[in-house]
Amino acid sequence: MAEQQYTVASDSETTGEEKSSSTYPDIAIGVDIGTSQCSVAVWNGSQVELLKNTRNQKLMLSYVTFKDETPSGGISNQLNHEYEMLSGSTIFNMKRLIGRVDTDPVVHASKKLPFLVQTLNIGVRPFIAALVNNAWRSTTPEEVLAIFLVELRAMAELQLKRPIRNVVLTVPVSFSRFQLTRIERACAMAGLHVLRLMPEPTAVALLYAQQQQQTVHENMGSGSEKNALIFNMGAGYTDVAVTATAGGVSQIKALAGAAVGGEDILQNMMGHLLPDSEGLLLSHGIKDIRRMGMLRVATQDAIHRLSFQTSVKVDVDLGNGTNICRTINWEEFEEVNLKVFEKCESLIRQCLHDAKVDIEDLTDVVLVGGCSSIPKLRTLVKDVCKKQELYQGMNPLEAAVAGAALEGAVASGVSDPFGNLDLLTIQATPLAIGVRADGKEFVPIIPRNTTMPARRELSFTTTHANQTEALILIYEGEGTKVEENHLLGYFKLVGIPPAPQGVPEINICMDIDASHVLRVFAGVMMPGSEHPVAPFMEVRMPTVDDGHGWCAEVLHRAYGSTLDLVTVHKK
Amino acid sequence: MSLLLSWFHLRRRLRCPKIRCCNQRASSVRIEKNYYELLGVSVDSTPQEIKEAYRKLQKKYHPDIAGQQGHEHTLMLNEAYKVLVRDDLRRGYDASIGNTRVRLGRNNGVAGYSSWNGALRPHALFVDENACIGCRECVHYASNTFLFDEAVGCARVKVQYGDDDRKIEVSVESCPVNCIHWVDKEELAVLEFLIRPQAKEGKGVFGQGWERPANVFMAAKSFNRQLKQQADNHRDNVGAAAEEETPAQAEARANASMKIEMEKYSVFWNLVKGIFWNK
Repeated sequence: MAEQQYTVASDSETTGEEKSSSTYPDIAIGVDIGTSQCSVAVWNGSQVELLKNTRNQKLMLSYVTFKDETPSGGISNQLNHEYEMLSGSTIFNMKRLIGRVDTDPVVHASKKLPFLVQTLNIGVRPFIAALVNNAWRSTTPEEVLAIFLVELRAMAELQLKRPIRNVVLTVPVSFSRFQLTRIERACAMAGLHVLRLMPEPTAVALLYAQQQQQTVHENMGSGSEKNALIFNMGAGYTDVAVTATAGGVSQIKALAGAAVGGEDILQNMMGHLLPDSEGLLLSHGIKDIRRMGMLRVATQDAIHRLSFQTSVKVDVDLGNGTNICRTINWEEFEEVNLKVFEKCESLIRQCLHDAKVDIEDLTDVVLVGGCSSIPKLRTLVKDVCKKQELYQGMNPLEAAVAGAALEGAVASGVSDPFGNLDLLTIQATPLAIGVRADGKEFVPIIPRNTTMPARRELSFTTTHANQTEALILIYEGEGTKVEENHLLGYFKLVGIPPAPQGVPEINICMDIDASHVLRVFAGVMMPGSEHPVAPFMEVRMPTVDDGHGWCAEVLHRAYGSTLDLVTVHKK
Repeated sequence: MSLLLSWFHLRRRLRCPKIRCCNQRASSVRIEKNYYELLGVSVDSTPQEIKEAYRKLQKKYHPDIAGQQGHEHTLMLNEAYKVLVRDDLRRGYDASIGNTRVRLGRNNGVAGYSSWNGALRPHALFVDENACIGCRECVHYASNTFLFDEAVGCARVKVQYGDDDRKIEVSVESCPVNCIHWVDKEELAVLEFLIRPQAKEGKGVFGQGWERPANVFMAAKSFNRQLKQQADNHRDNVGAAAEEETPAQAEARANASMKIEMEKYSVFWNLVKGIFWNK
């Protein structure tokens, strides 16, 4: 049923122009669900406005507490104390868990959180549970996110006095399509339709484009092209984008991202302050959870203070005879998190390289996200980009959601008499999409950083004589081997006429539209005729569901290489 | 379904661009544009102009703004932009369409440098700029026909038959080096194309600059021969390829593109239908 509603809604999107003339236009709201914080914004007719909850907060913590029968999320709930969030009854960091399998290192790192994350290491969805009345009550990341989104929707509907249906969501660059479907499913559970999914730095890029255009209007200058590098580091993810902006059009040149963020810094520091904390963090006994919460709060507090002072004193009594009392300075902090900062640097360099933009041609460097006030990060970004100053014009915690709200207004067909919505983002694909061929090679069909909407095709052929079927496995990722990438789906192409090996031409075409929907077409041609010999296949990706971690292995065990493909080398 | 059909359409387009341009005349499929026409830029536009044109068109056709109907068009824009904005790809593309451009010029007879005043005549004026000494006599006698290019230091025909016949006759006679020629109008475009200085590829600081054929009439002859050869090859290819497409396929393709065209008008069409039914 949810699917049905989904389709109807996307059809009505085309008649957006008529709607916008009504009193309450159905403008899509922008939602930024961060690993730790969340915010909602909407175009109010003249500018972007961040919505506040009943406690007058613009930034709300992303968590859901399971206390009694009804769970409550960070939008409406008021925490009595910081420790309440760390008592085991609260699920947070959903964004680091959603759509990941239990072999994923990020899931393993999440086992150190106060709630229960169990892994069986077989490539299925991890088991997560919250402590309710001394019992572990199971839930799923999708469910937690959906509960949170229901609250968020209720809050927005109350504020805007109209039903909310369409949302523009910001997502990390490194999210696979499978993870995106999980996010979409959580939205559908909450009665929301995802109009657009925007990688976070591209939302910031759109806001940047709007600001640049406004400056042009004020100065009456010519709208020359500006290249900007956007670096966004939050609690869970780090993303980089290079954008070329002119006349309100933000053209994404390249994207890069990784699941590295403030949470890693926090865990590194916890390990540094209490070297044998591993056992404590993993045990999940009632007393241990409490001690772990104290350590977490103390560490978090120390990291925050380190943004403003060169050294901090940590003094915390964890009980049970464990007492931490020491001073931490910048050098120590930077050394402990060396790997995190190295990863940040490599992401920036990779993104600049992919964008084919020289450092000298960068007009602005924008640093946003929850980690943007870390002094080391600021100097690192400035050094890599050879800039004296970072871009000042935006609030680092509100930039992404504001950009999402702008995109929501543009994609809903709203126009602004002052030209403030004369904007467009031309997106690029964050990950390469291709198929398995030539053994276990990943053959990209739509490479990374291809302008969207995109359509590409590639020809393959059979590996055996008289091969009548071919198994097509669609992968997404950056690796050259299929094992390093995410499996999106698979289907069998049948009805290949018996012929010697290498004669039938198997054509695979991929099409990504502006709302990031991927369709895969596949068909067989025989040399000498322009007719496809069998009806073409059209498959909407991804098709895999939970447990996709071992799909590829099982398929390989069942079919071996009997249904394989090889690429056709163009002469 | 329409997506699938249009994919076929695209496949054919990508694979054999030459077939496409002949079939469109045969089966009256909508006229395919080349990348420059698609972006609405001139063949010699700078990358900056191409970028600007691309952005302007994207603002009109991108699915964010135009809805799902903009998908196909945006795909084509993206493809055109990708090719034209990269130097190496653009050079390759120019080579593949360059011939068609000049040939069309010759067939029309008027697409060279000069424009025509009044009806076409069998002969046209042409200044051999290699021989011209820049005396400005012709410009003096027939200022509406000739112009003087200060940059090159030569006279050139601006408008064919821009002055009356007597003035033109006097101006041709006045040339001290007899560099004003009467040529067939079919020859004109090629001659005017070849006489324009072409950028020469240099090696380091040596050999750069501009050049044009020493004897433009000989160059035109060999150029025409080359074109003819290519046209023959082209026709052979077309002959072979045309057989590959069955009438049914051609029809399907025509329908597909018509449907794409019709989609634009469907709102209007429904409106018209509504009025009709109400009456």
